[in-house]
Amino acid sequence: MTPVQTVSQVFDAIQQAKAGAPDFCTNFFPVQRKVQDWISHGELFAELRHDAIFFYRRDRDFWHLYYCASSKTALHREIPTVAELRTEPIVLDLVGKEGDASAAIGDWESAGFRRYSRLFRMSRTSTDANGDKTESTTKIEFAVVPDAKAVLELLERAFDRFGEQLPVRYEIESAIQAQQVLVARHQGDIAGLLFFETQGFSSTLRFWAVATEHRALKVGSALMRHYFATQNAVKRFVLWVAADNVNAVQKYGHYGYKPDGLVDYVLANQLVRS
Amino acid sequence: MKSIAEILKEIRPEFDFTTSQDFISDGMLDSFDIVTLVSSLDKNFSVSIPGTEILPENFQNIQTIEALLRKSGAAT
Ligand SMILES: CC(C)(COP(=O)(O)OP(=O)(O)OC[C@H]1O[C@@H](n2cnc3c(N)ncnc32)[C@H](O)[C@@H]1OP(=O)(O)O)[C@@H](O)C(=O)NCCC(=O)NCCS
Repeated sequence: MTPVQTVSQVFDAIQQAKAGAPDFCTNFFPVQRKVQDWISHGELFAELRHDAIFFYRRDRDFWHLYYCASSKTALHREIPTVAELRTEPIVLDLVGKEGDASAAIGDWESAGFRRYSRLFRMSRTSTDANGDKTESTTKIEFAVVPDAKAVLELLERAFDRFGEQLPVRYEIESAIQAQQVLVARHQGDIAGLLFFETQGFSSTLRFWAVATEHRALKVGSALMRHYFATQNAVKRFVLWVAADNVNAVQKYGHYGYKPDGLVDYVLANQLVRS
Repeated sequence: MKSIAEILKEIRPEFDFTTSQDFISDGMLDSFDIVTLVSSLDKNFSVSIPGTEILPENFQNIQTIEALLRKSGAAT
């Protein structure tokens, strides 16, 4: 695999794989700004094949894999020929409607990948509110850049790095600068955080976490209610949650989020150990 | 046959698609919604929108979707 140098290299390669390929298949939905960040931080690599492209994004001690192939058959043919799939710790996400992903999962399983976790998407509209106006005594504010280290530490303690697409330090800093990270403090430390991305009328809740010693004390509630109350223009709230995180699923349900049918199967190869 | 606006409304009932000129930057459609939209458009207009045309710029507003359907052979 070779380092990717420019954003256009990525988009041109995808276009090439798509050209004249009505059965084009991919797990890569790149957002230009993010791709640019990955390239400037030297995180993105590519491997071009005749009928497919594989992109690798470095994350901590492992790689995220994205593929674009002219057809499922081409992908099936190429997978066994890519050596990195056996020599590097790799995870990949397959997103689709529940039930749609089984054939693709089979291809990856035969290449030595296993089902690592399953996330599902939940959404709510602004009218599915659950008493959003409740007052809370916990003060919520936007994080500031010097909080980035503590934010990262709390995220890494609360979530699994292989399954949850955790941001790295520079991504946290730019989210803080864009006022997308809310925090609750306790004696100067961060007791809880809510990390979100709002675009137009939609907002994605990326992470909601409270330090273990502050849980079940309404810190999470204060963060969530502040978030809803300040997103006045938003009509649609979405999030992804690990299916086995019953605690979070119940709480999201309490706030009016409902599964909307999309699932994300996270697959990992043998070199990924939780 | 349903109109494009009706199909969009079925996918995202919470939005008013007639008032936006850029569904993507207004956060009204994401890449997963586009996949659902393509299969509804295919069925409703009896076309097969090629994978090469599944680009955000073709789904920016009702006019660009109409143009895409015409290009794919639909009588809109
Ligand atoms: C999820 C998490 C952030 C919740 O934080 P918390 O401070 O313990 O939550 P709270 O005690 O404030 O409860 C939040 C809300 O859930 C409600 N709740 C509590 N138990 C509940 C249950 N079993 N079912 C439904 N709702 C419940 C609370 O009443 C409260 O609602 P309110 O605003 O109406 O008062 C925390 O458990 C955590 O950090 N978990 C690990 C990380 C994680 O899984 N994050 C979510 C995935 S992104």
